[in-house]
Amino acid sequence: MKNIKQYRLIILFCLCFLAVANVNAQSDWPVPAKENENMSPFLFDDDMVLEGRISYENSCTSCHGTPGQDDFTPMAPPPGDPASDQFQLQTDGALFHKIKMGRGSMPKFEDAFADDELWNIVAYIRSFNKDYKQPLPNMEGVEIPEYSMKLSFDDNIDKLVVKVFAKNQPQPEVSIAAYVMGTFGKYLLGKSQTNELGIAYIDVDPTMPGDEEGKLSVMVKASKGFGRAKMNEEMVMVEPTIRKSAIEGRHIWSTDKMAPVWLKVSFFITVFGVWFVLLFIVIGLRNINKANKEEA
Amino acid sequence: MNQANKNDKSRRKFLQKLGVAGASAVAGSALLLQGCSDSNKSSGNKVKVLTADNKLVEVDVAHLKPGDKIQDLSYLQERGREGIPGKKFVMVVDLAKCKNARKCMKACQSAHQLKPEMHHLNVLEMEDPVRDTSYWMPKTCQHCDNPPCVSVCPVDATFKRQDGIVLIDNERCIGCRFCVAACPYSARTFNWTEPKNSEEFAEVTYDMELNVPQKKGTVTKCAFSADRVREGKLPYCVSACPNGVYYFGDQNEDLVTNGTTKKTVRLSALLDNNAAYTLMPELGTKPSVYYLPPRESKG
Repeated sequence: MKNIKQYRLIILFCLCFLAVANVNAQSDWPVPAKENENMSPFLFDDDMVLEGRISYENSCTSCHGTPGQDDFTPMAPPPGDPASDQFQLQTDGALFHKIKMGRGSMPKFEDAFADDELWNIVAYIRSFNKDYKQPLPNMEGVEIPEYSMKLSFDDNIDKLVVKVFAKNQPQPEVSIAAYVMGTFGKYLLGKSQTNELGIAYIDVDPTMPGDEEGKLSVMVKASKGFGRAKMNEEMVMVEPTIRKSAIEGRHIWSTDKMAPVWLKVSFFITVFGVWFVLLFIVIGLRNINKANKEEA
Repeated sequence: MNQANKNDKSRRKFLQKLGVAGASAVAGSALLLQGCSDSNKSSGNKVKVLTADNKLVEVDVAHLKPGDKIQDLSYLQERGREGIPGKKFVMVVDLAKCKNARKCMKACQSAHQLKPEMHHLNVLEMEDPVRDTSYWMPKTCQHCDNPPCVSVCPVDATFKRQDGIVLIDNERCIGCRFCVAACPYSARTFNWTEPKNSEEFAEVTYDMELNVPQKKGTVTKCAFSADRVREGKLPYCVSACPNGVYYFGDQNEDLVTNGTTKKTVRLSALLDNNAAYTLMPELGTKPSVYYLPPRESKG
């Protein structure tokens, strides 16, 4: 009897310990204070949540599962469910920082997503929390500039030239990120800042294959504080490449559609020629046979 | 008389042709207009679609018409044979990252109506008896640029497309299994029994890019998820992997995208920097699947 009580106590103690240890394991990912207080410059609206959902389903579902379903992949440490308190009790800045920087088996998404895309994901995670009130930075007296960009390519130095304007004035110290849009994702060409003339230069690798005209599809993002702009353009920047079909030319595995006419014709002539000769011999033998019988 | 008759005939023929051409032009433009009709109701839900000239465009879901074409077998057959112009799909498998999560296999089997014992993609344990270690190796169809399976098919059921993908048309397949014997990678499997949930798929139009519905008595194999790739999405296995094992992309662009992190890198750099290899290169099959050795690698 006493034994059973002791066992129960031990088991209870173990369970408590495990629970506490688990919570501890979750919370021992330190976030720098500055990052922790970081706030989204955007109001989390339905559009952001939708964009975030697409990104989440592409890049996060494989480990974290669907938020609210507790169907994350069993790993050590467990990735956890973003709809759970363990996530929702953290600040926006902390979530943003952890997605961006990653740790251990949590990948680092700094190169895959731009900051605004990361905020989309945070907005999506927050959409599962009914009690969530978004803290917004103090915007009094802040004027959000409307940026516009002009892109050009300098083929002497193989650099993409980005000019940033606001109200026709060149804008210094604007962060620029340029990407090449691939079939399945965007390839980071480089990041830069505009100089006092509002111009930023980004290196382009001249060995990158373009299309038949040497065009690359580029996407450039400009951001400074709350001001943001995005631009897509097809630009001639690299050598033209001829896109070959994988089944061009003749191979041992080609279908007969690829066979040249001379081959088809000579093949059939040979086959029918052989048959003709054989038939000729058979008929000749029959005639000899007949002649033999008539003589006899 | 004869001459007049002939003229009459040709005139009639010409008018007939004109009628057909006119009707088809009207129908075509009507369809086009319908397709372009910009209904003001947009759901805000965007999907990426590949246009006929191979551009990826984002279209609002509300503007998409349920295409009758997708139900049309002859259209699907033609599309499946044709492939996507200007592309050459490749896969890179980073063996250092594979932890045998088997999420890729699950995603693949549920997409392609496969029973648990049938694999388009199998994660194998590769043992090194000398060092007494082992590593995990996902193995799919290699989509060879010199495919032995295609050479031996007597009915042109398995074929290579212009984008490098090797597919099977189970409408043509006679189940002789020559290709199974020819494949050095054991990538092909045979439907010995009725496929999984065959009643559910009885009414579904056959799409060779997805190879569903599966048919008893035909061969099946990995298709690089040609149906997803057409939509500009990564293959089922690639996007299901939690460990960042798979990169997939277009060799002509020299860009491959990791399915887990969505990070896009230069293919040539990835292969050169990590001493990539292909399986059984001595056979001269020129696989489109590259492996990065099972060590910590920079990807």
